[in-house]
Amino acid sequence: MTGVLLEPAEPVSTFRAERAPFRWLLEREVLRYLRIWRYSMVGPVLSTVLFVVVFGTVLSRHVDGIGGVGYGAFIVPGLVVQAVLNVGYFNGTTSLYEARRDRYLHCVLASPLRWWEILGALVLAAVIRGVLVATAVLAVAVPLTGVGVARPWFLAAAAVAVLVVAAQFGVIAGAVASSLDHVYSVESLVLLPLGFLGGIFYPIDQLPGGWQLLSELNPFFWLVQAGRIGFLGHADVPGWAALAVAWGLALGLSAWSAGLFARGHRLKD
Amino acid sequence: MPEPTPALRVRGLRKIYPGGLTALDDLELTIPAGSLFGLLGPNGAGKTTLIGSVCNLVLPTAGTVEVFGRPAVTREARAMVGLAEQDINVDRFLTVRQVLVYHGGYFGLGRREAARRADEALELLGLSAKARVTAPELSGGMQRRLVLARALLNRPRLLILDEPTAGVDVDLRGEIWRLVRALNAAGTTILLTTHYLEEAESLCDEIALIRSGRIVDRGTAVTLRERYEVASIADVYQRALNAEEAVA
Repeated sequence: MTGVLLEPAEPVSTFRAERAPFRWLLEREVLRYLRIWRYSMVGPVLSTVLFVVVFGTVLSRHVDGIGGVGYGAFIVPGLVVQAVLNVGYFNGTTSLYEARRDRYLHCVLASPLRWWEILGALVLAAVIRGVLVATAVLAVAVPLTGVGVARPWFLAAAAVAVLVVAAQFGVIAGAVASSLDHVYSVESLVLLPLGFLGGIFYPIDQLPGGWQLLSELNPFFWLVQAGRIGFLGHADVPGWAALAVAWGLALGLSAWSAGLFARGHRLKD
Repeated sequence: MPEPTPALRVRGLRKIYPGGLTALDDLELTIPAGSLFGLLGPNGAGKTTLIGSVCNLVLPTAGTVEVFGRPAVTREARAMVGLAEQDINVDRFLTVRQVLVYHGGYFGLGRREAARRADEALELLGLSAKARVTAPELSGGMQRRLVLARALLNRPRLLILDEPTAGVDVDLRGEIWRLVRALNAAGTTILLTTHYLEEAESLCDEIALIRSGRIVDRGTAVTLRERYEVASIADVYQRALNAEEAVA
């Protein structure tokens, strides 16, 4: 038996990487969902595009425009936000929960990767997936509905917040879930209802009083509003309020996930 | 003359899991650099919790763990440890070769060096023909080879093998023994846990017996046999652990 692997490395006083372990983990995370592209990319894009086609083009012929824009253009921002939130949630849960369940997370925890590098790689990979899915949806939705970007800088600020919220929500769910039942129940009992009550398909002033209040308590509502202001220039709430809530959620969830990873909560025994 | 820095120094290590189970009970253990050290004990004795504490997988309740003089939680310490766990825990999304390349990457290797070491590990463990399949497509024995190959990618100074021969056939067990001996001969310190007592007796230059989260005795196979006036390590195991049970 011969080879360099049979001999131990020389001791070093300070760990130095030829290529940052963070970059390796990020690459692995992206590779993971690209390998299952039918489920991870095509599925969410197709389902969102079908909403745009059915509601935005077919039904919009029978629905008056809202706030000066066609119904198709009205719903596209919310549908994109919903798609990003869905892929962010499933990215974090499938990647981290399965890594915990199958225990290959141990390889990462036992390596020189620091907790914030692990968290950063998971979040950034989910953000990239969200950008890819949103771009693909818009590539179809823009020509179909004619939706444009009224406030590009506002949209950029809102998009970053939405992407971070989605990614961090998924990572937190992946860290605390103790079964696949938890993962899928959150999707059907939390994500789906919040999405439908988040003002994607209607302006809030068309709801009865109690439902309006309920919508305003729904974090998805504020994310949808932030996206809509970026695309259309206006929505049901002031821009500063939508952006403040979106960034408040992004920072709050980031602090929560950082706390979980720093303590190793549910990641270590 | 100062004593050389041990490969592993564990002091007062205690782990109480939520729910009250005490897995490690003020455990003390020092493993000299360069040794091939066996850790024997029944299921639930604390072996895997000890290994987890060394490898940043378990949060100890109290105590300290040092690897070659560095706190086990530091990157420098983690870079010096290779771990092959008892369970087959490989990334099912990657091919066999990618599992090795990315694992090398987590230890800071460049792309070319990670690929070179991955290819060497594939050759060393007889996995070259399976480089492009994913881990779930491998047989149990092949998966065990992959777990061992992965543990070598960072050229660890302390290699921890948690029951590496559990459930493997006689041929593979022989291969693993030869590999372990070659690694140790080249200077790698090895901490081996096993349920095969003859394996510990044949491979290890020192053996510790663990029960209820504490080391109850340690020594070379010869010393232990003489101390308990028995013919084999299997008898030592029975005597030492039964005596401990009687005291408890």
